[in-house]
Amino acid sequence: MKIVAVTACPTGIAHTYMAAEKLEKTAKSLGHQIKVETQGAMGIENELSASEIKEADGVIFAVDIEVEQRERFAGKKVVQVPVQLAIKDPKSVLAKLG
Amino acid sequence: MKEDLLKIKSYLLSGVSFAIPFIACGGILIATAIALAPKAATGNGFSDFSQSPTLKLILDIGVTAFTLMLPVLAGYISHAMAGKPGLVAGFIGGYLAGHLGYLPNGKEISAGFLGALLAGLLAGWTVNQCKKIPVPKYLKPIMPILIIPILSAGFVGVIMLKVIGIPIAEFMGFLGKWLETMGHGNALILAAILGGMIAFDMGGPVNKTAFFFGSAMISQGNFFVMGAVAAAICTPPLGLGLATLLNGKLWNEEDREAGKAAFAMGMICITEGAIPFAASDPVRVIPCIMGGSMLASCIAMFGGVGNHAPHGGPIVLPVIDHRLMYVVAIAAGTIATALAINFLKSRQQKTSVA
Repeated sequence: MKIVAVTACPTGIAHTYMAAEKLEKTAKSLGHQIKVETQGAMGIENELSASEIKEADGVIFAVDIEVEQRERFAGKKVVQVPVQLAIKDPKSVLAKLG
Repeated sequence: MKEDLLKIKSYLLSGVSFAIPFIACGGILIATAIALAPKAATGNGFSDFSQSPTLKLILDIGVTAFTLMLPVLAGYISHAMAGKPGLVAGFIGGYLAGHLGYLPNGKEISAGFLGALLAGLLAGWTVNQCKKIPVPKYLKPIMPILIIPILSAGFVGVIMLKVIGIPIAEFMGFLGKWLETMGHGNALILAAILGGMIAFDMGGPVNKTAFFFGSAMISQGNFFVMGAVAAAICTPPLGLGLATLLNGKLWNEEDREAGKAAFAMGMICITEGAIPFAASDPVRVIPCIMGGSMLASCIAMFGGVGNHAPHGGPIVLPVIDHRLMYVVAIAAGTIATALAINFLKSRQQKTSVA
């Protein structure tokens, strides 16, 4: 499965990147392709391109704040969870994609 | 209802995430300037900048960052709620929260952080209502660039200036007066509450509320509250950093790395350094850092520590009154945090082995 994800926490220096790492590791170990965009204190990094979003089978938002440029994901089915859950139990987050 | 509250929390945190760099920048510049300037001969301990234009410059830049922080906070809360059209009303509401007018004695009236939070929410809500106004097609293009900004900014401005701004400012002033008249026992309770709030979410909204309360009290002429807050801010990352140094075996490699970073962040007073630890083990870490911060703030309050800068941690030491007690407070909080968390960690490992 092709997955794209966005992580963002209020401070944007710790949780954002921890969640991104967990999601990447877990998704790869389950045999999925994943790209995670981080919206931390540095702004948007590892930005998802329009084609990557278009081709994705699933979208995950692991965020405690509003996602920037949310309109890019219009029409996509999005699974939204708190950042904490992606850090603690990334498997269950991926399972929500069905 | 619960979903609405979560939404509001997410809006507030979005605004806070944009405001944090302004707080850090302003806080450190102001602290530096006040620290290096000589104390004024008269007045209640304010610094005298008349002899040092360079320090005055640094102070002015820091004050600018702090002044902009309120509009940025309110502006981006509103932006999170209503998108681009929300910015103008949010910025104006946040600016007005900090500049409500002048008292007869020339002092500026400010509704501060609390006022800016409310201004941001009000602005976002107002813009979202404006978007629902049915308009003929030929007027559509001018809605977001003309009609909505004017309507929403006008409404938010009037509410801030004429309705809620002054009561919030008076409430802040009342808190300051109340603190001044408070006895030693009550002051300790307040210090404990503020210390706990500082550690509880490590730089989140609860922490910032306590922080802004402390810095608002500085402008009311009460330096003790900020003294207690300043000691509490730095102990969570310092304590956790110390814990990884004291007994490395209890922590995995990632934690030990994070421990060094946390120690550095603690020195310059960024409570957020504790987050990686709290994230992996909140049940043990959060009570320990809250206890350590409460101890630090109580010792600081008890020792009469005053802080003249809206920032904390070891780096503001030069602007502290009763420096020795300040150091004692931070050391005690740091050591208490480290010992408590290592004790809980070692018990956890024993039970998991057995």
